[in-house]
Amino acid sequence: MNERSRLRKAPLGWRASAYIIMVAFAVLTIFPLIWLGYSSLKPNAEIVKYPLALPRSPSFDNYTRAWTMGGLGISLQNSLIYTCVATVSTVFLALGAAFGLAKFPFKSAAFFTWAFTVGLMLTVHAVIIPLFILEVHAGLINTRIGVILPYIAFDLPISVLIALSFVKGIPDAIIESAEIDGAKYRQIFWSLIVPLSAPVIATMAILSFLQHWNEFFFVFIFTTKAALKSLPVAITQFAGRQNIEYGLQYASLVIGILPMIVFYVFFHAQLTKGFGEGALKE
Amino acid sequence: MVNTLTKKRSYLSFVLPAFVIYMGIMVFPLVFSLGLSFTKWKGYGPMVFIGLQNYVKMFSDPVFHIALRNNILIVLISVFGQIPLGLLLAYMLHRQMVKGAKQFEMLIFLPITISSVIVAQLWNRVFSPIGILPTIVRQLTGNGEYVMKVFESKTYAFVPIMFVLLWQYTSLYMVIFLANLQRIPNSVLEAAQMEGAGEGTIFLRIVAPILAPVAFVNSILAISGSFKSFDLVYSMTGGGPAHYTDVMALYMYNTTFVFQNYGYGSAISIVIILFIVAAIMLTRAVTKKFNQD
Repeated sequence: MNERSRLRKAPLGWRASAYIIMVAFAVLTIFPLIWLGYSSLKPNAEIVKYPLALPRSPSFDNYTRAWTMGGLGISLQNSLIYTCVATVSTVFLALGAAFGLAKFPFKSAAFFTWAFTVGLMLTVHAVIIPLFILEVHAGLINTRIGVILPYIAFDLPISVLIALSFVKGIPDAIIESAEIDGAKYRQIFWSLIVPLSAPVIATMAILSFLQHWNEFFFVFIFTTKAALKSLPVAITQFAGRQNIEYGLQYASLVIGILPMIVFYVFFHAQLTKGFGEGALKE
Repeated sequence: MVNTLTKKRSYLSFVLPAFVIYMGIMVFPLVFSLGLSFTKWKGYGPMVFIGLQNYVKMFSDPVFHIALRNNILIVLISVFGQIPLGLLLAYMLHRQMVKGAKQFEMLIFLPITISSVIVAQLWNRVFSPIGILPTIVRQLTGNGEYVMKVFESKTYAFVPIMFVLLWQYTSLYMVIFLANLQRIPNSVLEAAQMEGAGEGTIFLRIVAPILAPVAFVNSILAISGSFKSFDLVYSMTGGGPAHYTDVMALYMYNTTFVFQNYGYGSAISIVIILFIVAAIMLTRAVTKKFNQD
């Protein structure tokens, strides 16, 4: 606060408009979520008759039914497996690649870096058809690995570039002295680069986790078995099927939203930092 | 150098795993996709080479036109809605025009963490006859029969989707601009105030130009993101009614996986990529010209 004390306050008109815009945005963000939350505790008849009213006698009935009917337990487990495996793999593959590209004096590094940059432009939808055909032929359809591999691949370009800009900043001298001491590169990576990169690993992991948790398309296309669905796919399909059971729809949506609100509360600072820095590159 | 070979081997052992996965899953299929786009194929049986026919067909395909129009609407709402609004919100927060700026930032950024397909379902409930919006309208106007008809309108069916996009992604740009605003030294704004510049002048003439490169990078992200739209639209309307809300990726999906027209589907996916590349090159050219003037 001290450093900005010499800066005059914004004029009243700006401050008044700022309040109006901020409050409007905040209400639009939070009110639908709160409404969904308390409505999910109402029985169906009450939802239809008094759409905006608070529940008379809140009950978790909708939750227990949605959970079993929608098979959401197994989907939650799948989501955790897909997300965790893909996130850990992406982070270490990207960090390894960044180490190779930043700290080894080979000309091909420029080409590899360029190739990863091009990847930022490619979209899932441009390759989904051949990828589907390839997965059918390789027997990867309806397998976990068939879902996890594309998760990793599509997250690699951005992760490699984030890791690269960090690893470049690690002083060469540290690595050179380890080389002189006779350390192998594998050792240098695990005992020097990984610990020094802790901040960027955290950023990559959180962004990667968010991306993979909310991923929809690959599971949607590459799996047909209910036992392999992730939470977003299972909930979308379940909520879409419940034409008149509004309570079940609401409860299943809350089950999809709540874990991310918890995640957000814990990692809000890192998320803001990660997304904020994402565009500082150029 | 004795150990150049070992060094090269280590180098490749670090770079290649990521590179091979990336090439195998993202780049190699793209070539395959290009090849498929010149064929007529049902996903099984004989594959017939038909040259550019799939691409020619797109020109006169009314559904493709609607999908393209809707994709362009998404580009417009991103570049002229989310980004300027995000900049304005960021500036207001940065200048601490409201009390509890930190809390507002935290609330407004929240939707970024929720999966688009679930966001779409949430807003469908808000807009439904027993949702928040129609209920409030009924109570305010006394018209007990009111329901939202916009979804059935050929011209306006896409508007609610654009609103939800604005709702979910404006805060992303807000956060990016906020991070960059914090790097502008306070002395710059102080000097402007000393010279008597008003708030509007500072915002438009000083802050906006400084952040122009950031806005440019964000526009690229927004444009390429716009052509990728699938999840939200699929979950909200499925492209209906009668394709009014179709977008290219969704049309590609239906053509290929529902109607088994793999060749035409591939051609649409190649066109999506071409639009992204063209949009990025155009933005780059315009910005270059802008910087020269």
